[in-house]
Amino acid sequence: MSQPRKLPVAILGTGNIGTDLLVKVLRSPVLDCRLFAGRNLSSPGMTKASLLNVPVSAKGIDSIRELRGQVELVFDATSAESHLKHAPVLAELGVTVVDLTPAQVGRMCVPAVNLADCLDQPNVNMVTCGGQASVPLAWAIAQANPGVEYIETVSSIASRSAGPATRINLDEYLLTTETGLRTFAACPHTKAILNLNPAQPCIHMQTTVMAKIRQPDLARTRERVEAMVAVIKKYVPGYQLILPPLLEGGRLVTMVRVDGLGDYLPRYAGNLDIINCAAIAFAEARAHRRQT
Amino acid sequence: MPDKPSITVCDATLRDGSHACSHQITLEQVRTYAAASEAAGFSFLEVGHGNGLGASSLQVGESLVPEGEMLRAAKACLRRTKLSVHVIPGFATIQRDIAGALDAGVDLFRVGCHCTEADITQRHIGHVRSVGREAWGVLMMSHMASKDVLLEEAKKMQSYGAQGIVLMDSAGAYFPADVTEKIGLLASRLDVPVGFHAHDNLGLSIANSLAALEAGARIIDGTAKGFGAGAGNAPLELLAAVLRQRGYPTSLDFYRALDVAGVAEKLFAGSLPGASDITIVSGLAGVFSGFAKPVQRAATQLGVDPRDVFFELGRRKVVGGQEDIILEVANELARRQAGANPGSPAP
Amino acid sequence: MKAALDLVRADAEAVLSGRTARLDALRGQHLFISGGTGFLGAWLLELAAVLNAQHGFGLKLTVFSRNARDFARRWPHLGKLDWIHFQEGDIRYLAELPRDTRYIIHAAALTDRRLFASQPGAVAETNGLGTLRILRAANLLEDLQKFVLLSSGLVYGRQPWETPAIAENFAGPLRCDEVTSVYAESKRYAEVIAQCAISESKLPVVTLRPFAFVGPYQSLQLPWAVTDFIRDSLNGGPIRIMGDGATVRSILYGSDFAFWVLSTLVNGRARETYNVGSPEPIDLISLARLITRHFTPAPEIRTGVGQSGHDRNRLVPVIAKSAHDLGAAVTVPLPVAIERTIAWNRLIQSS
Repeated sequence: MSQPRKLPVAILGTGNIGTDLLVKVLRSPVLDCRLFAGRNLSSPGMTKASLLNVPVSAKGIDSIRELRGQVELVFDATSAESHLKHAPVLAELGVTVVDLTPAQVGRMCVPAVNLADCLDQPNVNMVTCGGQASVPLAWAIAQANPGVEYIETVSSIASRSAGPATRINLDEYLLTTETGLRTFAACPHTKAILNLNPAQPCIHMQTTVMAKIRQPDLARTRERVEAMVAVIKKYVPGYQLILPPLLEGGRLVTMVRVDGLGDYLPRYAGNLDIINCAAIAFAEARAHRRQT
Repeated sequence: MPDKPSITVCDATLRDGSHACSHQITLEQVRTYAAASEAAGFSFLEVGHGNGLGASSLQVGESLVPEGEMLRAAKACLRRTKLSVHVIPGFATIQRDIAGALDAGVDLFRVGCHCTEADITQRHIGHVRSVGREAWGVLMMSHMASKDVLLEEAKKMQSYGAQGIVLMDSAGAYFPADVTEKIGLLASRLDVPVGFHAHDNLGLSIANSLAALEAGARIIDGTAKGFGAGAGNAPLELLAAVLRQRGYPTSLDFYRALDVAGVAEKLFAGSLPGASDITIVSGLAGVFSGFAKPVQRAATQLGVDPRDVFFELGRRKVVGGQEDIILEVANELARRQAGANPGSPAP
Repeated sequence: MKAALDLVRADAEAVLSGRTARLDALRGQHLFISGGTGFLGAWLLELAAVLNAQHGFGLKLTVFSRNARDFARRWPHLGKLDWIHFQEGDIRYLAELPRDTRYIIHAAALTDRRLFASQPGAVAETNGLGTLRILRAANLLEDLQKFVLLSSGLVYGRQPWETPAIAENFAGPLRCDEVTSVYAESKRYAEVIAQCAISESKLPVVTLRPFAFVGPYQSLQLPWAVTDFIRDSLNGGPIRIMGDGATVRSILYGSDFAFWVLSTLVNGRARETYNVGSPEPIDLISLARLITRHFTPAPEIRTGVGQSGHDRNRLVPVIAKSAHDLGAAVTVPLPVAIERTIAWNRLIQSS
């Protein structure tokens, strides 16, 4: 089998997320980073990219425009506000867009659940970190139990893994995560909760999914959840089931922990790692599909 | 003796008490108690789920009555006494929860967060102020941070527009000397009034409240008969007596303030908190008082000692809102007890 | 050369003697030292070498500096140690720290007074931006225990003549409309940048404000009073003092400085600021005499060689807080410190 030609990609946004994504792209056998673009040439991410001999630019979206025809996929790791401006430009360029912001321009993509449905989309949105962790579990629970009345997810993350943008936009995080749960678990009532924990050493991300179910089938739920965890592990190696589904106090509860890969971000920041891993899983699937 | 400053007394019975009865407060209880609180002349009556707006959930327990109904019922009973709510960003959003509370006529929003995370309150405090209502900042689990950190976080909230800052001893873990040090620093360095919210896990709620007043607090929280999470709060009837005896001016009608104890005794019979091995260990471990009931429930189901669960939670430094960790910890302890089948769920 | 290195080794052993328990938390830990090849850096490495060789500490060090390779070549007894990683780079472009770093000493800064005159902009940039960069990188660490920022005693501005010594809560005026303020202002800026990191990310930062020092590894080309006097004496004199010699300094030996910094890593309270220096005042005339007595014939001491108007000034720290929290102390009295420094310089010159 011949190695496929690598998919030429660019990364917009040189903050912590973008820089961690860069490390993952460079490791991918099917992705080729043609440009690392942002606004601040002296940011640590830019410094790191330069040291890795990746072309960098401080001209942001304009630098992508100048590469017309040379990149086929762009990761946007800027902000929701910026993505709303970037989206039409990228659409006009005809590139596939992987949106890591909560802008919700394109279809929500959770690879373990709907990767195949997203591969033809011009713009996919990676929901939120809590969404990437909880949606597959909620989906598995819904598959195992027809009578799901209500789904709720709680994530606890290390304070230090929540940057200023996350902190000021908690409401958007909650609403986007709830939308994701509603969409994928086909459940009208959902709730998302986020806790920041300042303990040192930093806690690793933990996500719990709880559900109210008319007649829960615990055995089937366990089976489905365990199968789902195995699927996610393929693209998020640090995803672990730490509390298999159980019934307690009239609710079904299951819990996962997400250890990050520690590429650029610290390992405790599983919340940031999982969304990047999901973005890479989508991009690699696009790269493979292009070959066939 | 020089004139003492006037003290704002906040009645948190219908909010903190929610924890004591697993969030099963009825509309009838709201109406009856609100009338008693109004008669007693408390400055504010706080109403709602124990974890505040939008917190009714599988995670921390579902409220019997939707919060909008509770707030409207309470508001209808209040004239002098103002209506307040507790708000925790991460649970409550502006659009989903604060908007409704504004419609229900809430006067004061006490926007709280874990004591080191003040910057998550910026938008919520800002929104409340922008629509012309009163907003305070609340630093929860404040035993977990040093006085310097608390001052820094309180100053952040003050800069966002908070018109008062309350330190909550959510775990009932303070000793009077801690109160004196922390409240003393905040009272001397902040522009806005400072308050203290006690829990009685170590039997120190009144001692700590008095230490807070003497260190310069201008706001004090309590609940009737201590009706609140864990071992309960500083009982309002005792606070009324202490304030009167120490010569602090308040808006209270003294006898009516004493009466709230009797009202609560009838109204919340069977749910009134008291010291127990569980609440004592909770205070020692420095774990959120609201965990008492879910810990007992999980410990019973999984066959482990609830005190072990509390000490392990304390070791992990969990914060309020992380109730889901209780099950994980209890499950882990059960597995260790069983000593077999590691990795499998407990029976 | 060997005799010079033996002298330093003996001093490092002496300052640690009976005091290693204070540093126990560092056992087996990875320390990152920025600016680790200067005077302080060299002494830190000497102490670390004794801790590893004689007390089994198992320290791992990363030494980051613009001239790391030159330093490792110049001092092979340190440069060849396999538990020290020398990393060459410019602190302004630092992007990442080793993942397992538990302790950081940020000493990288432009401290050469000649640069303050010729390239003040570079001083402002390196000392400010460098601090910003390393704090950002520190924020990505998983279990950082302590970050020690080396500021400067000069952030206090002018110490009033009638105040014998200044404690950490003193604040004197600094003029921001004079280029000569650039070093002190850059250090004040670095301190406030550290306060931002404490407030935003709860980083466990401790700030140290060093005063004046002497000892082996100190360049005699730096135009400070004590180095000037020693250099001029080694060259046969005379020692030239601009004013009347009443100006007061206090001077600490390198080994005491390095122990003080290491102890801060373990015992310094996060968010606190500590003075580092000798509390013993000495006027310039007396200092000159402490030096000249080691030479025959004694070099001449000339005072008042400058224009009139050289006023007297004073810079002496109060170290009560450091003594209490850090166990900091002067174990090498100034006359001994001077004697060791002169001996070391003679040995180096002759080798």
